Amino acid sequence: MIKIEDLSVAFGGTEVVKHVSLELREGEILGIVGESGSGKSVTALTLMGLVSEAAQVTTGRILFDDVVLREAGKPCDLRIYRKYRGAEMSQVFQEPQTSLNPVQKAGKQVEEVLRLHTKLTGEEIRTKVLETFQAVGLHDAERVYASYPHQLSGGMRQRVMIAMAVILHPRLIVADEPTTALDVTIQNQIVELLRKINKEQKNAMLFITHDLHLARRLCHRVAVMKDGCVVETGTAEEVFDHPSQDYTKRLVEAVPSRVKGKSGIRGRSGELSAAEADSGTSESPEGRKAGNGISEVPEERKAGSRISEVSEERKTGGEISEVSEERRAGGGTSKVPGERSAGSSGAAPVLSVRNLSVYYQDGKSTLSQEQAEGQGRKKISLGSRLFQKRGQCVVWNADFEIYSGESLGLVGESGCGKTSLSKAILGMNRHIEGEIVHNSVRPQMVFQDPYSSLNPAKTIGWLLQEPLRAAGALDKSLAMTRADRETAARDMLRRVGMDERYFDRRPSELSGGQRQRVSIAQALITNPGFIIADEPVSALDVTIQAQIMELFLKLQEEMHLACLFISHDINVVYRMCDRIMVMKEGHIIETGETEEVFAHPKEDYTKLLLWGS
Amino acid sequence: MKYLGKKIITLIMTLFLVSAAAFLAFQIIPGDVVASILGTEATPEREEALREELGFNDPPLVRYGKWAAGVLRGDLGVSYRYSKNMNEMMPVAELIGDKLPVTLWLAALSLALIILVSIPLGVLWAKSRSHALDAVLGVITQATMAVPSFFLGILVTWLFGILLKWFAPGGYVGYRENFWGFLSYLLFPAISIALPKIAMTARFLRNSMLTEMGADYVRTAYSKGCSRKRVMYGHVLRNAMMPVITFLGMIVAEIVAGSIVVEQVFGLPGIGRLLISSISTRDFPVVEILILYITFVVIFVYFLVDILYKVVDPRIS
Repeated sequence: MIKIEDLSVAFGGTEVVKHVSLELREGEILGIVGESGSGKSVTALTLMGLVSEAAQVTTGRILFDDVVLREAGKPCDLRIYRKYRGAEMSQVFQEPQTSLNPVQKAGKQVEEVLRLHTKLTGEEIRTKVLETFQAVGLHDAERVYASYPHQLSGGMRQRVMIAMAVILHPRLIVADEPTTALDVTIQNQIVELLRKINKEQKNAMLFITHDLHLARRLCHRVAVMKDGCVVETGTAEEVFDHPSQDYTKRLVEAVPSRVKGKSGIRGRSGELSAAEADSGTSESPEGRKAGNGISEVPEERKAGSRISEVSEERKTGGEISEVSEERRAGGGTSKVPGERSAGSSGAAPVLSVRNLSVYYQDGKSTLSQEQAEGQGRKKISLGSRLFQKRGQCVVWNADFEIYSGESLGLVGESGCGKTSLSKAILGMNRHIEGEIVHNSVRPQMVFQDPYSSLNPAKTIGWLLQEPLRAAGALDKSLAMTRADRETAARDMLRRVGMDERYFDRRPSELSGGQRQRVSIAQALITNPGFIIADEPVSALDVTIQAQIMELFLKLQEEMHLACLFISHDINVVYRMCDRIMVMKEGHIIETGETEEVFAHPKEDYTKLLLWGS
Repeated sequence: MKYLGKKIITLIMTLFLVSAAAFLAFQIIPGDVVASILGTEATPEREEALREELGFNDPPLVRYGKWAAGVLRGDLGVSYRYSKNMNEMMPVAELIGDKLPVTLWLAALSLALIILVSIPLGVLWAKSRSHALDAVLGVITQATMAVPSFFLGILVTWLFGILLKWFAPGGYVGYRENFWGFLSYLLFPAISIALPKIAMTARFLRNSMLTEMGADYVRTAYSKGCSRKRVMYGHVLRNAMMPVITFLGMIVAEIVAGSIVVEQVFGLPGIGRLLISSISTRDFPVVEILILYITFVVIFVYFLVDILYKVVDPRIS
């Protein structure tokens, strides 16, 4: 039905799509997988005639039922396309947030398709739109119809987009990363919806994704793209189970998957320090952790009673305000009750969080720290009720520890309170009750988006030295000379696997993976002992993702680093973390050893998160 | 409701602060009002008597209090300079009431011109894919923006008044005598005011539209099968208007407060001219009220812009 023959697309002389030939049959779902920059989106946009005018088709042509839509050397003919777009072919875009017109009601935007291509009356149009809304699972159709996009959730917006795309039963639907911007559970619903539509309407679907799991689940056939070329085509099983090309193999390899187990990196690190593992803890089922060279930890943790005793004492000691005082001073280790620092330097948690509730304040009533602390001591239920009037509670009674050298994974969907919790831990949100005790100096954070979280005006070297300067400014004893700082920065740059010549470059000259390396270096340069990594690999391509994860694990081992690893990607968490904490609507609903949680999830929601994807 | 209350409180506070600051400024700047009213040949006794009559011997705070109390009662005071007849001083309210319609009509006319011309022009410009049109509009708007309005006023006067004789330069008919004649006299001053603003607004709108045209929802609109025109008017324009509204608000505040230069050049008896002459003759009561008026206008227009924003963009609550 659709034939793309030998298509090449160039932007100002640079070819980004090279001699791509694809065929799409009636009722078939063809997946295009590849990393960013592989040309998959440009191919789809060219097919839809939506690629920017700067793009030129240099070779080949696109056929829809033997009608030539686009040919080499000719500009895009809008008259032909206008007949096809919306009626015969439609597209579902990646970002439902920005892909809908923010100042038009959802109903009106869907209606437009009918107004453009049919001669239905106003009332018929309305009925049809409401029917379609129902069909794509928007059960509150009337309300959605009259809502502006910002009044709808991400999943609902994507359903509106899909309604818009399928309302005229087009024969081709191009879905460009339709679920990437959505939460896992919503993702599944949308994928199922697309599958259902494909079954019922028998339309062909071009499904573009970087997510191999997803492509495998949904697509009949798959084309793998790299650097503008199709490197491999075949049925989903063929391509993923028996990839014939090296690139496909690498791609499949790079995807973190619990099916493959934690062999790769963990295994290697285990070998490296096998000798240490022998020194007493070999009977521990957690040889993995022992392998990381922190053999006391698991034992200590098993002897949980002791730790809780300590914290019990601390609580009764009424140290709360003192501790938070230190935290505010930006300090760390500090004047913690004597016996603990004397007793067990390695065993004590790097971070312990007790009964922590975090509030979201809309700027109206700001509670002082003292007040918050005061209420923290009251009965929780009373405290929360008092608070509900003043701010919205976004994290309820979080209670956990992180031990030295350990990675604790925090998973949950957007809006569940992951980020609020991490901000509270870093002291960026003071509207809390409960207690947070740090035993690390200056915990640092690695952010999700390496593109926007590095100051574009500064050089990498400057950026790396910034935490050292800040530390020096706060505490004179930590102040370093300029030369020392530079040496430290260069050293750190090497440790994250980057050449020293990047020292004087600016973030814009680096790739996404390199930027994330810089972010990590920035977080680690003060040797914090504990970091929070907020979706550190989510913005990266799979192969880069794999490299960054490997780097993380390596550094963690070298620097004895504890890490709170926040992610929505279950597979990444599985690869990275020793323990997992599942969060839902502000509550921590399940905590456990990674393998344990994956093998025997206790909560239904956890199962949904794990096996939904 | 709460929002409105907040705005009103801000308005009152601002008016108070501004009037106090203006009052203070008048204490500091040199020049003697009494001398300027009576001329240089007045006897000291006469000067003293007038000083007493105008309350200049009271301490400044008392004088400000008296003045403010008067304003709150609706008594705007009397002009030091203008008199109604031989025995009566001219009330400020009446003086301004005479000049205000000229400025307001001039502003309305200019604004209408700006909106009616700049928006279609901006859309056309953004839509044009011809490089020639783009370049021509670029040069024209740049030139119009750069020319100061008094010079533009002179040009307009010369072209339409002297060369084409469409209007008599320097002429003016009161709005009470002949309303349409009055409007036609305002037309050319309005053009002088509007031209640079049209250039700016059109350019601004065009840039805003070009930015918006890269947005994802535009691609969605095309994917539905919309024509270019439909995309521009149906989707892009409203989104692109947001920054333009703020800009238009600034222009409105500026021209409603009186276009001093243009009123001067065309000899129009408006607020702007009154302000200049009152400052130079130390006609304090008039200046105070004019400053209050301008402050009020600016704040009020910004308030309207706020409201308009909410109408155009449903995301702002």
